[in-house]
Amino acid sequence: MPVTFTFGEWFSARTVIGQTLADLGEEYPNLWAVTPDIGMTLVEFREKFPDRFLDVGLAEQVAVGVAAGLAYEGNIPVVSGMLPFLSMRALEQIRTDVCYPNLPVKIIGTHGGLVGNGGSTHYAVEDLSLMCSLTNMTVTSIGDPLMVGEILRQSMKMQGPIYIRLAVGKSDMVLYEPGQHDIQIGKGIVAREGTDVTIFTHGTTVAQTLEAADALEAKGHSVRVVDMFTLKPIDADLIERCAKETGGRFVVVEDHLAYGGLASRIADVVVDRGINLTGFERLGIPQVFSGFGDDEELRNKYGYGLSATIEAAQRVIAAKN
Amino acid sequence: MSQSTLDSHGQRHSVAELEDLAFELRSKLLYLCGTYEGAVHIGGDLSVADILIALYHYGLNIDPSNIANPARDRFILSKGHAAVCMYIAMAMRGFFEFDEIVETYGQLDSAFGMHPCKVQLPGVEASTGSLGHGLPIAVGMAKSARQRNEPHRVFCLLGDGETGEGSVWEAAMAGRSSELGNLVAIVDRNRQLMTSFGEDRIVLEPYPDKWAAFGWNVVMVEGHDMADLVKALDNLPAPESNRPTVLICETVKGKGVDFMERNLAWHAGSLGQTDLERAMASLEASRASKEKN
Repeated sequence: MPVTFTFGEWFSARTVIGQTLADLGEEYPNLWAVTPDIGMTLVEFREKFPDRFLDVGLAEQVAVGVAAGLAYEGNIPVVSGMLPFLSMRALEQIRTDVCYPNLPVKIIGTHGGLVGNGGSTHYAVEDLSLMCSLTNMTVTSIGDPLMVGEILRQSMKMQGPIYIRLAVGKSDMVLYEPGQHDIQIGKGIVAREGTDVTIFTHGTTVAQTLEAADALEAKGHSVRVVDMFTLKPIDADLIERCAKETGGRFVVVEDHLAYGGLASRIADVVVDRGINLTGFERLGIPQVFSGFGDDEELRNKYGYGLSATIEAAQRVIAAKN
Repeated sequence: MSQSTLDSHGQRHSVAELEDLAFELRSKLLYLCGTYEGAVHIGGDLSVADILIALYHYGLNIDPSNIANPARDRFILSKGHAAVCMYIAMAMRGFFEFDEIVETYGQLDSAFGMHPCKVQLPGVEASTGSLGHGLPIAVGMAKSARQRNEPHRVFCLLGDGETGEGSVWEAAMAGRSSELGNLVAIVDRNRQLMTSFGEDRIVLEPYPDKWAAFGWNVVMVEGHDMADLVKALDNLPAPESNRPTVLICETVKGKGVDFMERNLAWHAGSLGQTDLERAMASLEASRASKEKN
């Protein structure tokens, strides 16, 4: 069954993953799905390829270790689960069993950021920082539900491991028409052109940032939005180009700790390349355990919601050379 | 039984020949421990020397000239700190030269380091060293073999202290749940950790019961009795069977060198020239007394 959708509507990234894996399973007889008891996304794959599906129960470490063993044997395992647990409880397996021998294991999961109202046990807020520090690891964070299918497809040709971060993945806004952008791992997407400021973002805050850009445009500002869905390797050339083309004015918005995620990676590029900025603001989660609340309420509470994004952009636009 | 090393007459190694090989392995270990300036995990090397000879020179279906043969048995050294013992057993089998190990061990850009690295040394099956990681990988390999209908086995050698890691028991559950009769865990039950004796701080007993409770086929083995090791390998259930097997090998840390045996000071260390001579003399004496018995 091909995925059908309508631009601007809500769609489940999990459905896209399930269908994409079921399709890829035909094409790649060595594709496996491994999960620690988070298998709903994988029902279609499991039914089609029961001999290449493994649910290890609640055991993230063994899920990743088994995936490494499968990959040593020439298989391509996708480990699907909840990221707060995969990225932390199985961190050493990811680093030592997967990244060290550079095996083609894909870690894909949900609950990246303050999403799902599960409380601080169930929010992955440090994950991108942890994953970006791992040698050989490619790190992505996806907002558009259809894009996750494309990323999975592209990742099949990759040698080493990849981390694919989603929010809850049950209902995400379709942001891009198919073919609208050239989507390539390692390349940022200029989701909207503009010249006064660049707002960099990824994952669940892309939709909100596009909304902020509309509001800013109504106030007479020309805002560029970059969906920097690949955090590693970072698209340094695009960052440099945006600095030149938007007056050295940057805002970074992300559903991750404000220090250690995309903003830090951009700051590294700025320093390493000696890029001159006029203004730079980072919006993200402060160093707190954030408590309960809806996604939007938490983003507003911690200063990286819609109005905070608009205000930050206005401040940066107003910054003097 | 799978193909194994043959002696000069084209016969499978006898127990006596395997014992000679184990003596040679220990001698080479001591030589390295006496000539390399850094520390060697000599205690845990000596406790697995007989097991590694039994595997590399008898039990494993492997071919040093065709290390990527899909039909080979897989062996994962989960207690990665016994790497040098594995390297030497592999060298004696023809994977590489012993001199290469002695000349480069632990040096910059050497393929032979304290813990095995698959990238540097493709003849090993997995990069290991962090304890508790080998058995999950072995489960993945055994699962892959099952899915492809490949009849080889996957062996994984663990230290008993290592089985304090929770991931070992996660893997034990996974191996049982997937009915992996092609999976064989071997535990080096030397009853010592790095800084304590077994049971003093961490209670592992009733140890065989733990594995049995996880649904594994448990076989008790005298880990320094070559005949018993050979018997255990000969009598493994068929790879097509539906339960993984654990060989719990009773061993002695530092086995063969009297001043190292059951001595916490010899988890790791290096031997000077004088101690090397003492150690070699002790190894010779231990062999002579064994022959007398």
